[in-house]
Amino acid sequence: MKNNWVASSPLTINWAITNKCNFGCRHCYSRTDTAEELDLEALCDLIKKASDAKVFSINFGGGEPLLRKDIYDIAKFASGLGLIVSMNSNGFLIDKETALKLKSSGFSKVGISIDSPFPDIHDEFRGMKGSHKRAVAALAHLKEAGIETSISSVICKINFNDIDRLIEQAVSLGAGSINFHNFKCSGLGFTNKDELDLTPDEWKKFYIYANEQKNMIKNIHISLEDPIIASLGQKDTSSLVKGSVCGKLSLNIKSNGDITPCGFIPIVIGNLCNDELLDIWNNSPVLNKMRNKVPKGKCMKCDHYSDCLGGCTARALALTGDINNPDPHCWENES
Amino acid sequence: MPKYFRNAEAMWREEDLSKEEAMKGLETGEDVSEIGTSIILFQGKMHAINILGTEIWKLCEGRTSEDIVFELSKYFEVELPVLEADVNAFLQNMKELGLVYEE
Repeated sequence: MKNNWVASSPLTINWAITNKCNFGCRHCYSRTDTAEELDLEALCDLIKKASDAKVFSINFGGGEPLLRKDIYDIAKFASGLGLIVSMNSNGFLIDKETALKLKSSGFSKVGISIDSPFPDIHDEFRGMKGSHKRAVAALAHLKEAGIETSISSVICKINFNDIDRLIEQAVSLGAGSINFHNFKCSGLGFTNKDELDLTPDEWKKFYIYANEQKNMIKNIHISLEDPIIASLGQKDTSSLVKGSVCGKLSLNIKSNGDITPCGFIPIVIGNLCNDELLDIWNNSPVLNKMRNKVPKGKCMKCDHYSDCLGGCTARALALTGDINNPDPHCWENES
Repeated sequence: MPKYFRNAEAMWREEDLSKEEAMKGLETGEDVSEIGTSIILFQGKMHAINILGTEIWKLCEGRTSEDIVFELSKYFEVELPVLEADVNAFLQNMKELGLVYEE
């Protein structure tokens, strides 16, 4: 595949259908977002637009998507159009009945956030007592209902030394995959970065170890989606592009229809209520810039640049103000 | 002789702009094998296939590999043994990935 290949429309849309949340997570990227919610009819119109643009899948998030009472109607509409429908949830509201309703409304996969194998640490990080217990129960209900599950863990200071236990826990809960999400300095993640984010050297050690586990453990899929691991000779083989996938394979839509390149880049490039998805996808100057990054700083002399393309664009923007600057997590050529 | 079918659970789409680029390349004799003209999504994994792969993929509707080679030979100026080898290798790969099945 050519290095500069870009999909003709997004393959996946991450869709924050609400900003309401019953948790108070310390790293939340959307807590400070005041965007209003679209009603069901308006939202379905936009989902139809995405389907018409040949988008494959929609992943609902937020906020906590289950706080929308019409979540089942939304999912039914989307899955009825042939879209693959999934969701990220904290799991707190998923009991047996909810899991069955999610299944019947067309959800094929639900990701549950668990950041620590230790309930107290998870609960404290997520700002909700009892949340670990409820997340574990949610995974069991979803599995029983026949929905594929995954566990999402945001890697940061509270858990980067607990990889083995996180994987063990995921296997014991029957999750199909565990996604180790790299820490993003957006929203509260930016406010709390000094306390939560790892150093470049810690990231390097984490990825080397996590990749060893990924290659060794075969009874669960371990996902490490971070472009900077290319410098370790690692790359998620399922990825079709180099560098960040945002704006090349996926887009983010906010609760009011605003389109951003990804959930962690707060640059609005259009609004799906008023704009055509393909017009934004093909003509947005911001997306164009993200797809044609120019190396700066230490990236200019780095042998790995052609593979990582400067790493995570969202992190570079959040911490340096320039998407072309090196990913601040990158350990290469650190003095 | 087995007939080949696309797995109905695999979602796929042609990439119009990439297809256009590949078609232009074919006309000028360029190597277009690295241009992904279709994307297939199956079991959470994305697969990109080039223009020859796309045409083979589209013909997996109950045809034998011989039928597929015959159809492709109308449009691709490739020596028949080369085309046969390419088609069989592609079908074998698709079969291993669960994207096509034989009947």
